[in-house]
Amino acid sequence: MIIMARTKGYPEALEKKLRDQRYYREDSNPDFTKNVKAISRTIPHMCYQCGTCTGSCPSAPRSSYRIRHFMRRAVLGLENEALTDPDLWLCTTCYSCSDRCPRDIIPTDVIMAMRNLAFKRDIVPVNFLKTVQAIYSSGHGVPNNDVNRAAREKLGLTRDPPTTHMYPEYIKGIQKILDHYKLKANADRIVKEREG
Amino acid sequence: MSEAGANHKFAFYLGCIAPNRYPGVESASIKAMKKLGVELVPLKGASCCPAPGAFGSIDLKVFYAMAARNLVLAEQMKMDIALVCNGCYKSIWEVNHKLKHNKDLRDDVNEVLKEIDMEYKGTINVYHTAELLYNDKFIGVEKVRDSVTNPLTGARIAVHYGCHLVKPHKDREFEKEVMLNTECPTWMEELVAALGATPVEYRNKMQCCGAGGGVRGYDIVHALDITNEKLYNLEEVKVDALTDICPFCQLQFDRGQIEIQEKLGARHSIPVLHFAELLGLAQGMSPQELGLDLHGISCEPFLQKVL
Repeated sequence: MIIMARTKGYPEALEKKLRDQRYYREDSNPDFTKNVKAISRTIPHMCYQCGTCTGSCPSAPRSSYRIRHFMRRAVLGLENEALTDPDLWLCTTCYSCSDRCPRDIIPTDVIMAMRNLAFKRDIVPVNFLKTVQAIYSSGHGVPNNDVNRAAREKLGLTRDPPTTHMYPEYIKGIQKILDHYKLKANADRIVKEREG
Repeated sequence: MSEAGANHKFAFYLGCIAPNRYPGVESASIKAMKKLGVELVPLKGASCCPAPGAFGSIDLKVFYAMAARNLVLAEQMKMDIALVCNGCYKSIWEVNHKLKHNKDLRDDVNEVLKEIDMEYKGTINVYHTAELLYNDKFIGVEKVRDSVTNPLTGARIAVHYGCHLVKPHKDREFEKEVMLNTECPTWMEELVAALGATPVEYRNKMQCCGAGGGVRGYDIVHALDITNEKLYNLEEVKVDALTDICPFCQLQFDRGQIEIQEKLGARHSIPVLHFAELLGLAQGMSPQELGLDLHGISCEPFLQKVL
């Protein structure tokens, strides 16, 4: 007689009943936990949900943004829930949570990693992309203007600072870096989709 | 190059907001630091650091490569970098630190830089001018005090430290005991006192200005509400001015007060000066030489007290 090998578990009916009581969800993706860890270069899986991060957060008192919630999503692999939540973009990256975390995690970098993953799905507010476009064309996220040029001259400074503004020949190198990652093309495409 | 500070010559990394919105910070830094024996040399062809909130959020790999390009420009000059902005510090110092310590990141970055005939070698260090001013190895509080010709006597000045120079402190390296107490540091207050002013403590001093992480662009009312809370805390202790060491924080507090009146209906009129501007003033530079007339909030009431 051949004894069939079977995996450990209760009979089907009991298994189904218990499933709801386990940390298991259909929408959980273990790769998400791994990706967040790799990009953030910190240790989200060490989080024991004490809430020190949310308690330290300047954005928490004025919104529904709860960084502890995002930490839980990182651990449970709740990719869709994390990446589609608009609160993801309310972190000011002040790193107060990271300074106080008793588990030595850097929750701010977990948020940054999630934003990187969201961008891969075109989930990104346009203001971030407009900074990319400004840097692509001028080298500066906040470029010079005529009022400021006149003011600089009065202060005894050159009308344009000795950056890419005064030496535009350096902009080509910046454009090559951004093109290497197709960042400008993606930014242009997404901005056009949103704003026509 | 680790002791390059000894020759007191630095490549001056400007960033965006200082040269393009508050040029007084640039001119004051160059002149004031020169009086203290530190020469700031232009870093030709530098770009945006890039903005850590905007770029870091989109793709950290691009963020590393873009910051590395600025670092390589200074490596080619064989000079350490000095800069005046916490946001730039986050990009330039932190990427330098990460690339020095992680071969995988360095290899990634160099693969891209090869396309523009550059190579990141990790041969220089990066400093914030506030750090140079405080640290005896470079300048020190005593020397700052000795350089003052117009003491700011009688002025009550509060400090906004900002975030990215000191946080996350487990990552930062300088003067750990003194400067990296991120709950209640007082080293900037020592510098304020060295100028003859009275440093003032206020509630929740270490709170963020609200602008970072792309939030100013994403949800300006949310960002301003954080700023507004700090402004109320400052008014509570009757300050004559707020000083900062980050032009982005300065923009958020200075122009932010006008935006707060428009969007939140709250009125404030607290002059906001970068510490370089304050130092220039104490060393005898005129408000015109510092471009203080470019500030959104008038510095006049404060100036009348100290000039």
